[in-house]
Amino acid sequence: MPDREQVIQKLTGIFQDTFDDPGLELFDAMTAADIDDWDSLQHIVLVLAIERRFAVKLNPAEVGKLANVGKMIDLLQAKTAAKA
Amino acid sequence: MPGEVPTVTADQAILKSALVRAKAAVQAGDHAGAFATLRPCITPDSDFVDQARVAKALSAVDLHVLGCRSVRIALVAASTLDHFAGVLRFWLADAGFAADIFINPFDTIAAAVLDSGSALHRWQPDIVWLFSTYRDADLEVSADTAPEAIAGAVAGAVAARQALWHSLQKGMGCLVIDNSADIPADDPFGNLAGAAPWGRRTLLRRYNAELAAAAGPGVALFDLDHVASLWGKRRWEDARYWFHSRHAFALDASGTVAHSAARLIAGARGLSKKCLVLDLDNTLWGGVIGDDGIAGIKLGSGAEGEAFVAFQRTIKSLQQRGVILAVCSKNDPEIAKSVFRDHPDSVLRLEDFAVFTANWDNKADNIRDIAGALNIGLDAIVFVDDNPLERDIVARKLPEVAVVDLPDDPAEYVAALGRCGWFEMIALSAEDRERSRFYAEHAGRTAVRSNFTDMDAYLASLEMTAIVGPADAFNLPRMSQLIGKSNQFHLTGTRYGEAELASIAARPDWFVRHVRLSDRFGDSGLIACLVLHREHATLHVDTWVMSCRVLGRGVEEFIANEIRSIALAQGCHQLAGRYVRSAKNGLVADLYERLGFAPADETTKTWILELDRAAPGWKTRVKAVSATGEMLYA
Repeated sequence: MPDREQVIQKLTGIFQDTFDDPGLELFDAMTAADIDDWDSLQHIVLVLAIERRFAVKLNPAEVGKLANVGKMIDLLQAKTAAKA
Repeated sequence: MPGEVPTVTADQAILKSALVRAKAAVQAGDHAGAFATLRPCITPDSDFVDQARVAKALSAVDLHVLGCRSVRIALVAASTLDHFAGVLRFWLADAGFAADIFINPFDTIAAAVLDSGSALHRWQPDIVWLFSTYRDADLEVSADTAPEAIAGAVAGAVAARQALWHSLQKGMGCLVIDNSADIPADDPFGNLAGAAPWGRRTLLRRYNAELAAAAGPGVALFDLDHVASLWGKRRWEDARYWFHSRHAFALDASGTVAHSAARLIAGARGLSKKCLVLDLDNTLWGGVIGDDGIAGIKLGSGAEGEAFVAFQRTIKSLQQRGVILAVCSKNDPEIAKSVFRDHPDSVLRLEDFAVFTANWDNKADNIRDIAGALNIGLDAIVFVDDNPLERDIVARKLPEVAVVDLPDDPAEYVAALGRCGWFEMIALSAEDRERSRFYAEHAGRTAVRSNFTDMDAYLASLEMTAIVGPADAFNLPRMSQLIGKSNQFHLTGTRYGEAELASIAARPDWFVRHVRLSDRFGDSGLIACLVLHREHATLHVDTWVMSCRVLGRGVEEFIANEIRSIALAQGCHQLAGRYVRSAKNGLVADLYERLGFAPADETTKTWILELDRAAPGWKTRVKAVSATGEMLYA
């Protein structure tokens, strides 16, 4: 199982690039409401950027149903573990 | 799946640093610098994440400051295009446009198009792009359907599109772009879907062919099926995103679609390139003519020689459809010319080139001279050279010139030139095909002029005759094209599509005219276009464009006389003309002054001339003839 911290680190970089905010930090309870720019278009950019960086396949609907960023980290941890 | 698709992902560190630099440039007010930084970050093949990030950064750049031309494009679709608008705007900027993009609310096509009070109509787009896909063509027939019923189904599906086109043109006079159906990769019938007369692929192919035939003036067909094929049919549809959010094609194909469309729009709005400037050694043949000689260069036989012949053939085809060719080579001119004169396998002949520049000067200066000799802008030039160093110099010194990134292997030259799409057009007019001849004749006139010391005697010797005619069906496309592409001799900067021009011509008190010019060297074709508007006793010059090819030959005076006679026939007492300054029309800043108009209004930039019915008009050596060649008046 990959380290949760590693996933968070990678994911933070993706969020910073996508929302063009180098100071952005993730927290488990974070949702789209916490980031101004997080609209349906940026959601797609985010999902595709995650797919690319983590080399996993995601369903945008599935990702959209996640309750918060913490759940997203869990999902990525599981997906990358399944791949390894 | 990421990694499986051969889309390009930029080096993220390089991209990130470019985005930071572009942002800083915008903050410092350096919009040109920001654009120059962003432009090379992505190619049409770049994946969607990179496209979206660069497009987002571009939205902060003021493209008007860079001299980009405004265009208003409305996207109308039964699929989601919100993600696509920014990417399209980026590739339109690459083609020279500052685009405003309107996205019609999802899946409200009929209401938006048919209701003249809809938000779409009120927005007044220059171009409406009906972004249809195969899903919009209602074409399902069962296996036992009779041939006539199949033909009827296809005709019905095409008629449904035509009804939308006509409604848009009638209501707004805009250019309409519609898509060919992107024929799906998968079908439950497999091969039979394209082999049986009732198969879905068969039907969609027939639909596409009939759609292309139906698209006439004012309607451009965007060959989406071809673009889907270029990108790869198997990955074209991404079902996840269709079901999730109604994205009709894979997000990673956005760059390819936007790039192709931007090139088509450039062609439609007169921003396609006009001239191909070519290097010689290792570009049009293998080896160095000065060292290897006619017998030693690779041209004709052998794999490499055949590749160069194929490249020459492509260039010859471009020349035949109206692209002007010029040589810019570091060579001895006589030795270089000998290939086109004497080599049996050279497809290109000496007379195919309008300008032949072979010397040892730097290529940026040479290209500037070529543009001057041909009287075209640097932004109308595409430069092809195998030497990356020469390409780099030209790209740096002349950022307006499009430079083709030529691969190392000559076998790939044809594809590289094709992929850049610089010569797209929405229709081919007779003038396009004859343009190269015009430029050869232009060179002939320049040679004769050097024998005359007296300008008037020279002009008289040209034996110029002009035909003035209306906006009829034959001339309308060419008139609209001329208005669209004229920058230097264009007083007011108006742009009218074919449909719009036709509707203006039909209005009372509006007069739309074209002028064709001939002289003893040949036919210059349609060289000027006028849109005039009578208001009480004043005739306003709404639009006056003229080809720079005929500048300085008394044609301006001839046209001024035409305007005057229309005014007098309409009982007008004065002419009113406007000069609206643009980045490129400094050439005509003093036109009205030269013609004797007086400045009337600073804010509306209007010039006025009181008409004297008894005065003789302007002096010109151009004589008016009727369409049948009969002399009208001297």
